Amino acid sequence: MQVLAVMAQQQPAQPEPETSGGVLGVFEWLGTHFIGLFNESGEQFVGLVTGILPTLIVLLTFMYALTTFIGEQRVTRAVQWSARWWITRYTIMPIIAVLMLTNPMCYSFGRFLPERHKPAFYDSAVSFVHPVTTFFPYANAGELFVWLGIANGITQLGESTVPLALRYFLVGIVVIFIRGIVTEKLTAFMIKRTGRTEVFADFDREFEAARAGGVKA
Amino acid sequence: MSETDTTHTSRAVFVRAGAGGWGPGLLLRADGKRNKVLSVTGGGIHEVAARIAALTGAEAVDGFTTTVPDDEVVAAVINCGGTARIGVYPRKGIPTVDVYPGAPGGPLAKFITEELFVSAVGVEQVQPSTVEGAEEPAEEPAVPPRSERPSSREVAATVTGDGKFGQAFNSVTGVFVKFGSGVGSFVNTMLAAGRQTIELTLKTILPFMAYVSLLLGIVIYTGVAQWMGEVLSPIASNPIGLVAISLVVALPFLSPILGPGAAIAQVIGTLMGSQIAIGALPVQYALPTLFAINGQVGCDFVPVGLALGEAKPETVAVGTPAVLISRMITSPVAVLIAWAASFGL
Repeated sequence: MQVLAVMAQQQPAQPEPETSGGVLGVFEWLGTHFIGLFNESGEQFVGLVTGILPTLIVLLTFMYALTTFIGEQRVTRAVQWSARWWITRYTIMPIIAVLMLTNPMCYSFGRFLPERHKPAFYDSAVSFVHPVTTFFPYANAGELFVWLGIANGITQLGESTVPLALRYFLVGIVVIFIRGIVTEKLTAFMIKRTGRTEVFADFDREFEAARAGGVKA
Repeated sequence: MSETDTTHTSRAVFVRAGAGGWGPGLLLRADGKRNKVLSVTGGGIHEVAARIAALTGAEAVDGFTTTVPDDEVVAAVINCGGTARIGVYPRKGIPTVDVYPGAPGGPLAKFITEELFVSAVGVEQVQPSTVEGAEEPAEEPAVPPRSERPSSREVAATVTGDGKFGQAFNSVTGVFVKFGSGVGSFVNTMLAAGRQTIELTLKTILPFMAYVSLLLGIVIYTGVAQWMGEVLSPIASNPIGLVAISLVVALPFLSPILGPGAAIAQVIGTLMGSQIAIGALPVQYALPTLFAINGQVGCDFVPVGLALGEAKPETVAVGTPAVLISRMITSPVAVLIAWAASFGL
């Protein structure tokens, strides 16, 4: 990260080559700036690799191992429990889903919900896949730079990213809760609007029957 | 479709990888039940899906408006350059044709095999198969077996033989064996986690870092970063401007386009970060910015995400618009909450 900080200070100063004029001068100018561009990019790359990658790799390894040890069955039980109430359905349930199954398999926990709640659960879970990367990057390691991009800027200022990370994570939970509720209402509205009230009433009965029939995972 | 509409297998097509693509190619054919080509590309049926359907005599179906039971799908046509959708259909065992030059990566990389996946496919890569009755390779390549150590219990038994002493010895070694295999499975799990991490680092994180570095290098070296700062900072350093950004990215016709792989949110996040670094954007606006640039998160993925949750076609039909419209309300709200939560940063 120090490299980045240094680069940030240096960056307004553009290398001004001693121009020899004429055609050769143009090529000299081109040559200097062409390689200068990639030198700058290279410095950025070194900054990212040495600053972020080492911690990330060991953290990812630890969390992958932990999720394997805990196992999907135990998680499934917790998720089924949290699927029952509207408050937990758009807070605890998506959080556990994202932490344990990671993006994109976390959405498969929608199967524990009646049809009318599935879109809201999806919206809630998918909105958590970036706030989660602050402390649990393994959960969405392919899309780290929404958070890391911004965090990198703060690191370059020499400030800690933890206060921002904590707030992003917590506000993320509030936002996925609101999203779940709003989308649930809108889904109900769409069902009525498209005249599918009966179809979804049938789905609800099927779901209740399946749950009463056998409490199988 | 016309003359051989019986249970006969239809004409086969061979789909090979295009320039920069991955995989040796897929041999696809429709039959009695398996007769739908699923187009999960957004914006109607992709021309590749239409061509596969036309050549095999199957029906092309838009995965965004309808869902089809997995066992009726001949192949799924996707446009994924990221790491999520790319593995969803291979995981279900559905042959997957990516119109982008994708390659195995992401959490589902292990399902993306040569038998199920081909990428960078354009219309000209889809050709009628010349090999009549060619068998598809049904067998998966043998997975390297778990460590095949000889059972230490047996070894112990042969060493000590029978008798009282032998029994006592066996019960003692039993404890050790149990402990040993516990340690063994612990080590193996850790090792597998490490392998998974390194694979992800090589296939997803490092390539992204390379690309982000190049982008940052260009933006900083050419001075575009400062120019952008002058344009962006008045917009991004007040709550109204951020709410406006969040509304634009959440527009129902834009959000599914901006979503894939979070590519756009990641690039904008990185650029905003560079603005924070040069002081053009105050740190207290970092949090609302994070929500403003991400109002479209997952909007490209709604039908697939719902299908993963085993949603019925009717649910997809009402759920997709519900999610997209919901963002128009919740994205500005998210920015305002984040703005309010930023005081004291």
